[in-house]
This record gives sequence, structure tokens and C-alpha cells, in this order.
Amino acid sequence: MTGSLFVAALAVCVVTTVAALVVPSWLRSAVTGWGTAGGGALGVAAGASTLAGGRWAAWLPEVLPLAGVRLSLDPLGGVFVAVTGGVAVCAGIYAVGYARESGRVVQATLPLFVASMLLVPAAATVSTLLVGWELMALTSLLLVLAEHAHRAEVGRAGLWYAVMTHLGFVAILAGLAFFAAGAGGEAFDQLRGATLSPAARNVVFLATLAGFASKAGIVPLHVWLPRAHPEAPSHVSALMSAAMVNLGVYGIARVGLDLLGGGPQWWWLVVLGVGALSALFGILQAAVSTDLKRLLGYSTTENMGLVLVGVGAAGFFGPGSALAALALTAAVLHVVNHAGFKTLLFLSAGSVLRATGTRDLDALGGLRSRMPYTTVLFAIGALCASALPPGNGFVSEWLLLQSLIHALPSSGVAGAITMPLAVGVIALSAGLAVATFVKAFGVGFLARPRGSGAESATESPPSMLAGMGTAAACCALLALAPAAVLPGLSAILPGAPAVSGQVALRLNGVLGTISPVLIAGSLVLAVAALLAVLRLISTRRVRRAARLWDCGAGPMSARMEYTATSFAEPLQRVFDDVLAPESDVDVTPVRESAYLVERVRFQARIPDRIEHRLYEPVLAGLKAVGRSARVLANGSVHRYLAYGFYALTGALIVLAVLR
Amino acid sequence: MYVQALNLACGAFLLAGVLVLWRRDLAAIVWLFAFQGLALGAMVVVLGADQGSVELVLVGIGVGALRAGLLPYLMRRALVSSGEARETQPLVNVATSLLVVAVLAMLAYAVSQPLVRLAPSPATQAVPVALTVLLVGFFVLVTRRRALSQVVGFLLMDNAITATAFLTTSGVPLVVELGVSLDVLLAVLVLQVLTTRMRAAFGGTDLDELRELHD
Amino acid sequence: MTPLLQVILVVLGAPLLVGMMRQVRARLEGRAGAGVLQPWRDLRKLVRKQPITPDGTGWVFRMAPLVLAATALVAAAAVPLVSTESMAGVSDLFAVVALLALGSVTLALGGLDTGTAFGGMGASREMTVLALVEPTILVSVFALSVRADSTDLGAIVGYTAEQPLTVVSPVSLLAAAALAIVTIAETGRIPVDNPATHLELTMIHEAMILEYAGPDLALIEWASAARLSVLLGLLASLFAPWGIVTAGAGVVAVLVAMVVLVVKVAVLGALLAAGEVFMAKLRLFRIPELLAGSFVMALLAVAASFFLA
Repeated sequence: MTGSLFVAALAVCVVTTVAALVVPSWLRSAVTGWGTAGGGALGVAAGASTLAGGRWAAWLPEVLPLAGVRLSLDPLGGVFVAVTGGVAVCAGIYAVGYARESGRVVQATLPLFVASMLLVPAAATVSTLLVGWELMALTSLLLVLAEHAHRAEVGRAGLWYAVMTHLGFVAILAGLAFFAAGAGGEAFDQLRGATLSPAARNVVFLATLAGFASKAGIVPLHVWLPRAHPEAPSHVSALMSAAMVNLGVYGIARVGLDLLGGGPQWWWLVVLGVGALSALFGILQAAVSTDLKRLLGYSTTENMGLVLVGVGAAGFFGPGSALAALALTAAVLHVVNHAGFKTLLFLSAGSVLRATGTRDLDALGGLRSRMPYTTVLFAIGALCASALPPGNGFVSEWLLLQSLIHALPSSGVAGAITMPLAVGVIALSAGLAVATFVKAFGVGFLARPRGSGAESATESPPSMLAGMGTAAACCALLALAPAAVLPGLSAILPGAPAVSGQVALRLNGVLGTISPVLIAGSLVLAVAALLAVLRLISTRRVRRAARLWDCGAGPMSARMEYTATSFAEPLQRVFDDVLAPESDVDVTPVRESAYLVERVRFQARIPDRIEHRLYEPVLAGLKAVGRSARVLANGSVHRYLAYGFYALTGALIVLAVLR
Repeated sequence: MYVQALNLACGAFLLAGVLVLWRRDLAAIVWLFAFQGLALGAMVVVLGADQGSVELVLVGIGVGALRAGLLPYLMRRALVSSGEARETQPLVNVATSLLVVAVLAMLAYAVSQPLVRLAPSPATQAVPVALTVLLVGFFVLVTRRRALSQVVGFLLMDNAITATAFLTTSGVPLVVELGVSLDVLLAVLVLQVLTTRMRAAFGGTDLDELRELHD
Repeated sequence: MTPLLQVILVVLGAPLLVGMMRQVRARLEGRAGAGVLQPWRDLRKLVRKQPITPDGTGWVFRMAPLVLAATALVAAAAVPLVSTESMAGVSDLFAVVALLALGSVTLALGGLDTGTAFGGMGASREMTVLALVEPTILVSVFALSVRADSTDLGAIVGYTAEQPLTVVSPVSLLAAAALAIVTIAETGRIPVDNPATHLELTMIHEAMILEYAGPDLALIEWASAARLSVLLGLLASLFAPWGIVTAGAGVVAVLVAMVVLVVKVAVLGALLAAGEVFMAKLRLFRIPELLAGSFVMALLAVAASFFLA
């Protein structure tokens, strides 16, 4: 059952790709959209049946030369298959209306991208994993580059993405190849039973960690993410941000917790540390970002950081303990929740982009009356992303905090120092997330339009709204009834589930109860009671329109509104030392007198500091090396032949000496 | 009850040290230092009372009188004559220094664990507190510009060392304590003379201006 | 049963608390004061006015006061003020903190929805303070939960009530100081915000609600008062849990607990008001220092819970 569903999901995706290449253009977006959604739905079913206890393994020796393809589905992989499928359903339905103008190849690549993301968590050998990984990288690169003809930045973003993702691939390849060589086989079963020296295990873990973390957008390997996600078409951004980055987390969990079977505590402290750093750095950049999709991209870095804090804590507590189960459950639930709200947010951002032609929050506003459905849907996503009740992000962050807080007595000095700091970091990132999404929603959608694009906005077509609505429904389900998915998630680890209960979630092993339904219900009840009381006691009910308070200076124009930049200014000042914003004031006096100002130009920019400090020197160094290497190539054919000759003889000499 | 009182004294000792970094007002810093001296004295008295040693109690009272009475008195006099009321521009801003203290506290805890494990008792378990104050004092010395803040930083370190001594060995000999205290007193007097001279020479006690003596 | 009692107590008592605090301030400043009942008179006046929709505002603006007041109501029911028996599943300290934050968020959105510079300014400042307050709250929660091994408010208060000596430990004193600063920041009192100011350079809370009038304003005013009473009540319960009844207590005990609660909150309110007379508002960009200080105290509280354990 599990296997046939999974194979059907892959088959539907591949068939859709072929169909997209042949059907006429007016039908194409419908075919790819619904095909992708269908493949995604089958993926959800396959993942769900895996979590319900179904197992499946397949061995296809003839598909790949030498190694063959080996697939298997276990609960850990099943979760990620289901999440990818769910995101694909929403993005597919959305693409029916959104991707009508896209080219043939771009549309045909979409289902293939989904198929590759379904393949990765089901891979059961190193070579299968790497093939799926590379397929995923290439298809996503094609999709990122979809709009390269319209905007120059797309090309640059694609270049960054291509380089970073392939460096990551090299790291994973090296790590896993080393692992397989040490284990004497490349099937995951053989790797699990391998006995490697501690040093070799460290090398494997750190290499794969670097590779997978770069895919997950973890600081300092995140630089591609805030570039590539905004430039891709929005449904692709959703797939990348809500499904693809998860696979980085999957890789870390699979290699570290499963194949290597845990490890020394310092591994997991490293994971926890980079996670905490990413959470803080990501949300800080998001808080001061004015590009809506870039903001969402940085928020992905933040959320993946939080997930890694959970994974790191789980590894730190060691397999088998109740706290580890709780931390891992929290991390995986956060992956699921993040997938839900980030899909919704990126799709809504795409809807805004379609309607207004801009992603710049400083030019948006006033969409509340022009795009009512998109506004409500974005509001739901923002509530979930800011980890406030009754959103779904709150539930998983609560679980994560519980796992960290109960750690004290058991975890020694390292834990006693790490856990309070981790709680502080999570809290600060949660607070900044609230500020970020209040900014995104309040400035982007409320008040009056700040630009002409926002003024002439119209609501998106029903298929796009349906895609967003599906994502919102998933978020609502996850927020109010997390008990519906939690038993499945706890199947990842052997032993008792970390969380039990239907209405009120109860933690096992430690004290702690929370009931999302009760919180939401009592809020609704309180609002209803207040409305009733107001009805009862207020004597005049008809609302009267009135002018805004304008200090008596006449009606206010949209230019007087607070913008996203001004909203983030206090935060920018508070975190001045971390963000290092650049501003530039340029005063031009009139020609006659230096004292009369003709024009003042003010420019402010907040560059990504890590990119600025870490990558630019490296790139400059590479450029210098490249330039000096130019001397070697002066155009003489003899010279080039001589290089070959030297290399050959050199190799022979080395061989002779070593023998 | 003994543990409770000791912990309270240690908590006050630590808090006073941290608050020194928070306040810019030099007069308030001197008050905080006096408060810390009081906490130190109380800590020693509690230790003495627990061991039933009258001598230790008397030493505690003496330490308290010196740290909470005489030294703050001298500093206040220096403060009044200097006419400088605020630590205007510390080299590291206040919010960041407070976060640094958080990290220092964690570091102190990690470092002093082996020491605590040697002889676990309520007294030795408070050693991380003393170590934190030592690091805070050092940090004050590094980052604060005014000569008076520097003196306080130095005295914080001295308080911390005294506290460590009492907490780990349940009392240093009176002679040693007296000798150390006299050293400190001497240092304060020297610094006071120095500040007076600096003010005469430069019109302020910003220690960075000493750089001008370089060439 | 007691959650309902608490809600009634907060609904009726919150404006009186604000009136009492204003009266204390007035007396200390040498004024006669308007009397303890004045906030209730203000509310009555506001409710009778016609509701207003300022130009260009929408459903977010209208919903904000309702949601704000609703979060205050739910928090009043969830926090153990009279009895440690609390609403299971809501009375978690994280949940209560997040609920109160939800209230601030909706109000900030209401402020942004007006599109005036005042609304945006207030919202931006409120969110900045909220973001910086969050670490302090959660880390002090951590410190308090270590002993009771739970973040459930009922459990923490119950544990402290059983072992009253733990109140005078460094852990609880540091956490109390940190939470007191946080309470001041969350409720917008001096030195973080001045509830009486209408000067645009200094406003935080008042800037957000500048466009509200009539019944909407009444809801907001009441909700701010309720948040203040709930937070002060929470402080009293956490650090002076005397008189709180446990589950299954008799009617008389509950009545006594209510009286004790009123006295405790009144004392805390009077102290706060008296403190405000002697303090000036901090510059906006000095507030991070205050909050960093409170964060360090919270962290030291956690540290103390294992330094000195």
C-alpha cells in the first residue's frame, strides 16, 4: 500500500512533466498544476501510511549503472515525504492560476522538482541519495532562473545558488563517500552497522553537517537563501522554502542520529549553536528587511535554526531519554508547522506580487480592501509564523521550550550553561518574529497604499486563492488539533510517544500541559462575551465616519505614513552593532550659495553582514588568484601542451617514488 | 537557615557587582560598592556564625566596616573633589556589557566546577559567584574610562578574591587579610593622588588621555 | 469556579486599581486627585458615546480592542490569583505570556491600520519593547520552573506556597526583580512609557490608541487596567503566595483569599505609583539597557538556581 502510493506519486509527477512538454500552452498551467497537486497528494498519502506503520523497500538494479537504486520508507523519511507532498498540493493548485505566463520548460520542471524532493527522503543508499539530491539542485536551479530574462538580479541569485548548492553537494559527497568506504558498502543498512574510528566519525559528521546545513540555509552558509528565494516564482519559493530546506534537516537527522547513531555531545552542541545563531541572525535580518519575499526567506533561516536547536538538543540528551524524544518531536513538528505557514506566506506574497508588481513593503499598503482574501490568508500565516496562540508555530515552540527547560538536572555543566542561553535565544527570536510579522502584515496590507502598484491591486484568481486556502486550512488544523499529527511524528523514535492527549497535550516523562483548542476557544468565547456586553450597555450603535487626527494641518497623504523602514528603525538602532547598517547623506547646495540646499539624497542599506565580512574577502581572494593565474595562459599552444606533459611526467615521478 | 542566609549574601554580592556595570552615575556606583562590601561582610559573618568562630565574625564585621565604610568614604571624597558625576562613554556600551556579564557568569560557573567538586558544601558552591565578580571587576577595569570607575573595578576584584578565600578555606588568617586590606587602601590612596594630579594636568580623569604621555 | 471569580474580580477591580494609583500619585504630588472611582466614570462616559470609524481604517482597527480585551479576560481566568486550581492547558506561563503578547500585537496592528504617523510610531516602539522583553520573561520563567519542575503557574505558585522560605532565596529575588521590570515595560508605566503623556516624542501606548474613541477606547482603557492588575496579581502570587487557597477549599477560605489578593495588588499598585513620582521616563533608546539589565538578572536567577543549589 505504502509502496504503491509512493510509486504512484513519483509516476504522476513524471507523467505530468512529459505532459507539460506536449500539451498546448493554454492548457499547460492547468495540467502541470493539477498534476503536481495530484503527485503531492499521493505523496502525503504515502507519508501518512508510512507513519501509520506501513513499510516499503524496493531495489531497482537496472535504473542506475553500477549501484542501482534502492528505496525504502521509514517514519523519519515518511514525515518529510508527507510534508513535501503537502506543500506540493498547495503550490500545484496555486500554480494553475499563477504560472500561466511561465515558459514550457519552467512549467515542466516543477513536477520533476517535486519528484526529486520525494525521492531524497526515500533513498536507502548513498548513491540514490546523491542522485536525488543533485536532481533536486538542478531542477530547483532551473526554476529559480525562470524569470532571468526580466530581471538582472535573477541571474546573480542563480549563480550564488548554483555555487553554494554544489559546494554543499561536494561536502555531502565527500562525507558520505568516506563513510561508505569505511563501512565497506553504501547501503544505509551497512552504514548503520559500520564501526568507524572516532576521528573518522567526526569527519563524516562535520562534512555532511556542512553540506546539509547549507541546504537548510543555516548561518553562515545561508547567503544563497535570501537571494534565491525572492527571485524565484512564488510557488517555487514556497516549495523551496517550505519543502526543500527541510531536507537539509532530514540529512542531519538521518546521518547524525540514525546512520551514525548519535555521537559525542559536542557534535550536538555545535548543531545547537549554529541553530541558535541562525535563528537570531535570520530573524534580525528579517526584522529590518523591506523586501517582502526576502523577509520571508530570512524567516526560513530563523525557523530552520529553531529546528536545529531541537535536533541538537535531542542529540545532546542522547537517544532513549524522554527529553530527547520531546526535543525531536518538537523539532519535527516545527518542520511541519513551518512548512504550513511558510507555504501560505510565500503564496500570499506571490499573490501580492502578481497584483501590485512589487515586493517592496515601503510601496505596499492598503491591500485590506483591494485584496480581502489574500489579506486574511496572509494574516493567518503571519499569526502562525509569529508563534502566538492560537497559531501553529506556538505549539511547536512551546514543546521546544519545554524540552530545553526540563533539561537542567540531568545534563551536567554543558547543559546547565547551554540551555538557559538557548531559551534566551529562542525567546528573543520569537519576540523579533512578532515584530517582523507585525511589520509585514501591518505595513504591507493595512492603512493606505504607498505606491501606484498597491493602489491598482485586484484580488487574485480563485485557483490561487484555493492553493492558499488549502495551506491555511492545514495551518488551522495543525494549530487547533496538533494531536492529529503528533502520534505519527512520535513514530520516528522507538519508545513511548513524547506527547499524548487529544484536547490537552500532555508531555510524557516531564510535567507540562497545553491545550491549543482551549486557548482558542476561550478567546472566541471572551470576544463573544465582550460583544454581547457592549451591545447591551452601549446606547448608540451606528458607527460614524470621522477624519483622522492630522494635527489640524489638513488631510494626510500616504507619504506621511510609517513605512517598513521607519517601523524597523528602533530595532535597527538597538541592534546597530550587529547589523552595521550603511547610510549615506548627500547634500547638493544650489549653485549660487553653499548655504542654500537644493537637494538632499539619503540612502540607507543594511547589507548581510556575514556575506559582507566572510564571503566578499574570499571572493576577492579568488578573483586575485584567478587574475594572477592568467599569466599561465598566454595563448601559446606549446605552452598548453607543455602543461599536459609536465603533469603527466610529474604524476609518473610521484608514482615511481611512492612505489 | 544557614544556607539560605549564605545564599542571600552571595546573591547580593553578585547583584551589586553586576549593577556597577549598569549604572553610569558615579555616586551610585560608589553606593553599590558599599552595598557589596556589606554583603561581603555579611557573608563572612554568616560563615563565622555557622562555624561558631567569634574571631571570624569579628573579621567579618571588620571587613564590612572597611569595604562598606572607609573605602566608599574615601571614594566619595575623591568624587566630590573631581566634579565628575557620570561615566559618560564606556568603551563597551552598557547593554552589551550586561550581556557580556551573562556570558562571564556562565564561564565562571563552568570553570569553577572542578573546584566545587573537590569539597562540595554550600560555601564552596558559591565560589562561581565570587569568580563572576572577579571577572566583572576585570571587565570594568578594561572598559570604563573614569579613574573612579577603574578604582571600583579594582576593588571589585579585590572583594571577589577575599570572598573566594573565605568561601574555600573558611577564613584566611587575620594577618593576611589585614595585609591585603592595607595594600588595597594604599592602592586607593595612590589612585586618589593620581586622579588629583591628572585633573590638575588634563582637567579630567579620562584614562585614555594618559596616552598623550606616550611621546 | 475560581477562574470565574477571578475574572469578575479583575473586571470590577481593574479600573479601581488604576484610580487608586492615580490617587496615590496625586496625593504625593500635592494634588487633591479625582477619586478612586474616576476611571469607572470615564468608562461610563466613553461607552455612551457614538462609536467612530476614522477614514481609511478597516476590520483590523475595529477588532483590535475586542481581541485585546479578550486576551486580558482569558489571562485573568488562567493566572492563579485566588486559587492554585487553574485552567489546565491555559495556565501555562508561556501560554499566558504569549496571550498577553497577542493582545499587544492586535493593538499595534490597529495603530498601523490608521495609517497615521502616530499609529505607526506607537506600533513600532511597542513591538521593539515587546521583542526585547520576551527573553527576560522566558528566562525568568525558566528560573522559577526549575524548583517546581513545571511551567504551569498553578504548580509554581503551589510549590512556593508550600515552602514559603524559598521566596527569600537569590533565585526568587532576582527573578522577582527581573519580572517587576518586565511588568513595568509590558504595562507601559514609568520609566518605560508614561501613561499620562501625549507628546509625540515620548508616546508608546498612547500613540497607538490615538484614533480610538467611544466604546472602543473604553475597551482599551479597561483592558490596559486589567492587564496591569493581572500582572501585578501574578507577581504577588509568584513571590508572596500567602493566602492563596488550594483546590477544594471552602467558601470562607476563597473569600479570605480574595480579600488578601485585593490587599496585595493594592499594595503593589501603591508602591508602583509612589515609585513613579520619584522617577523620570527613560529615553527610548535607554530602554534596551534597562531590559538588558533585567535579562541579566533573569539569567543570573537561572544561574543561581544551579550555582547555589
